[in-house]
Amino acid sequence: MIEIKSLYFKYSNAKDYILKDVSLKIGLGEVVAIMGSNGSGKTTLIKHFNGLLKPSEGSVKVFGKDTRNDSVASLSKRIGLVFQNPGHQIFSDTVWNELAFALKNFGLEDDVINRRVKWALEFFNLVQYKDTSPLLLSGGEKKRLCLASVLAWNPDYVVLDEPTVGQDFLQKEKLREVIKMLVTQNKSVVIVSHDVEFVWLLQPRLILLSNGQVIRDGKCVDVFSDKEARQQCGIIMPQLLELYEELYPRIPHPPVDVLDARATLLRSLARGA
Amino acid sequence: MLFSLSLLGNTIFQFIIILSTILFIGLISKVLRRMSKTIMFSLSFLAMIFIINILVGYDILFSIIVSLRFISVVSSSSIFFLTSSPDELELVMKSLRLPYDLIFAFVTAVRFVPVIMLDALQILDSQRSRGLEIEKGNLVRRVKNYLPVLVPLIVQSIIRSEELAEAMESRAYGFSKKKTSYYSLHLRNRDYLMLVLCLTFVISFILSIYFLHI
Amino acid sequence: METLTTLIQFADFSFSYSGSSDLILKNINLSIEEGEFVLLVGPSGCGKSTLLRCINGLIPHLYNGMYQGKVVVDNKVVSETDISELATKVGFVFQNPENQIFMFSVEKDIVFGLENMGVEREEMRKRLDWALRILDIEDLRYKAPYELSDGQKQRVAIAGTLVMRPKILILDEPTSLLDPKTARDFILTLKELNKELNITVIAVEHRIDLLTNVADRIIVMDNGEILCDGSLRDIIQRRNLHLYGVAVPPIIGLQNTLSEYGIGLSRLCLNVKEFAELLRREEYKL
Repeated sequence: MIEIKSLYFKYSNAKDYILKDVSLKIGLGEVVAIMGSNGSGKTTLIKHFNGLLKPSEGSVKVFGKDTRNDSVASLSKRIGLVFQNPGHQIFSDTVWNELAFALKNFGLEDDVINRRVKWALEFFNLVQYKDTSPLLLSGGEKKRLCLASVLAWNPDYVVLDEPTVGQDFLQKEKLREVIKMLVTQNKSVVIVSHDVEFVWLLQPRLILLSNGQVIRDGKCVDVFSDKEARQQCGIIMPQLLELYEELYPRIPHPPVDVLDARATLLRSLARGA
Repeated sequence: MLFSLSLLGNTIFQFIIILSTILFIGLISKVLRRMSKTIMFSLSFLAMIFIINILVGYDILFSIIVSLRFISVVSSSSIFFLTSSPDELELVMKSLRLPYDLIFAFVTAVRFVPVIMLDALQILDSQRSRGLEIEKGNLVRRVKNYLPVLVPLIVQSIIRSEELAEAMESRAYGFSKKKTSYYSLHLRNRDYLMLVLCLTFVISFILSIYFLHI
Repeated sequence: METLTTLIQFADFSFSYSGSSDLILKNINLSIEEGEFVLLVGPSGCGKSTLLRCINGLIPHLYNGMYQGKVVVDNKVVSETDISELATKVGFVFQNPENQIFMFSVEKDIVFGLENMGVEREEMRKRLDWALRILDIEDLRYKAPYELSDGQKQRVAIAGTLVMRPKILILDEPTSLLDPKTARDFILTLKELNKELNITVIAVEHRIDLLTNVADRIIVMDNGEILCDGSLRDIIQRRNLHLYGVAVPPIIGLQNTLSEYGIGLSRLCLNVKEFAELLRREEYKL
């Protein structure tokens, strides 16, 4: 459970607050998307989850413990953050070592490390690269590797910062599958993203940030439908939701994906004349 | 605004370092506050230099002189960089007809220092999120801990330079030997006065050493 | 009727980077006319970026390799022409906004190319003013790079190429690091440049939802080859595009799948409002 109460944050030598009066709770097994225009404080907010940043005022509690009383390393064991640029973390001589890095830092035993690295290699299709230098992987593979290295230590919360940037359609599909799998394991996935269509397919809880404040927090259908909120954050409506609004009440609910839309439309066309 | 030819002579003579340093500080009082930050930072180095010199066996007077030399180098360079913008430095170098490749390398380096620093912070965040604790452990451990930060930083810098190379070529770098310049430096009366002053200072300095044996 | 000039031509062109035996580009035959707005798509690693670099000469002049066939740009054979000369015909905007701004101020960076070309100061000033105005960045003139947002940096990058008066503008995933609204504005600006200055635009993008209303032609690549090449409307109706990593916008995917079920509207709609309108009007015919 991540519990944030009246969080205010600014850097010590700055005059303006980046985050203002943010309050929210994220339990286990949730999929949460955080959206907002650039500079709205999204990345700053997620850095509070694992203690990289500590609140200027207010509190951030993770599993009941205040983050101010805990180290980043200790918090990271249960809250895994995957940042946007793989180039900012890849450094080992082999993919195996790259995956094992965090596990070693967390003091896990060798046999546990071996098991988890093996799992990560197989699950993310990186087995053939086990002994290669991670720097030789392609861009998409590097992103997979970064996600794999975080999942290797099995955190309860997985926080992804702009995971879809530069990814093509197939890569995004795979990512969605991974997210679905994590939720079935009762983990929580928090993603910060600009990608409206990607977020729509996940049907997550959606939190909108504008200028450091939470302006909406709820089911994505409701939040995306809020025109003012959208304008404030500079985001557009997902196409299928827009279709629902255009054709309402002909179609009863907003379609989640293309197949759903097709089925709904066919039914409504069959009915009406 | 063109304090271009800040050729504040970095000539450091052995015994009279004290005098010159005090003089410099008196002259450029406007940048004193920012300068003091650099001076504070270098104080630890200063102490180290002094102590090592003593330990190695040089006498106190010599050690003092060496330390003072250090301080005047640091403070005069600090003044130089604080009063000249990189733009002006670039123009100075162009007018000195230095090879353009060199000038460009200098400008690019200065331009990207803040970017690289930002990269380092982001890398540190990433690695700390993977359990890296850079404060812990003995000296050996701590040095090892810098690897996960240094490697990505260096790799990113190399990638950056490749991208810069592509961008440079795409903007006709090296098209013709004859380059024009949008801005140019103008020497104004102030600058001539400054030049004269500096020259006089340097000359009298050297002369006084020879003839007055200070 | 005006005859269109062929500005770019690839003839039986293949290429592999030095040190690798795999062909990145295989037997490419392609011709692009003046004034076109071309979208180049394909899965990661299919050779799109390589293809772009063959047009402005980065390949083969900066990147060596096995170069077979001919590439001609504005009547100049690329392999025989200096990059710096090609730079006056082809402007290149890269993905990362940060790594293509060299100077400490916007102004100085934009004239960088002109300084390299030895253009007279008065002419530089004219072109600078023009570029700033066209890209609506006049207020950024004296700013330093760290004061700019990513979207602004990308505009400055275009300005820096525009002042060299290129006939062709190439962009390699220019909106990849931009947020949707900024990306949208950026693409609209590109379209304006294309229409008003008759500049040929070739853009590689993954987010084609931004470009469906803007590009006339789409080229789909996979594994070093051109799979299909034609009008955007025609090709996007082919369902299998997503197999090549292309993210087909949901509303178009919907129309495609409906047509498989025999439900076809009179024309393909590129946005939701259009689709809903047409559906309401033509429904009784379906």
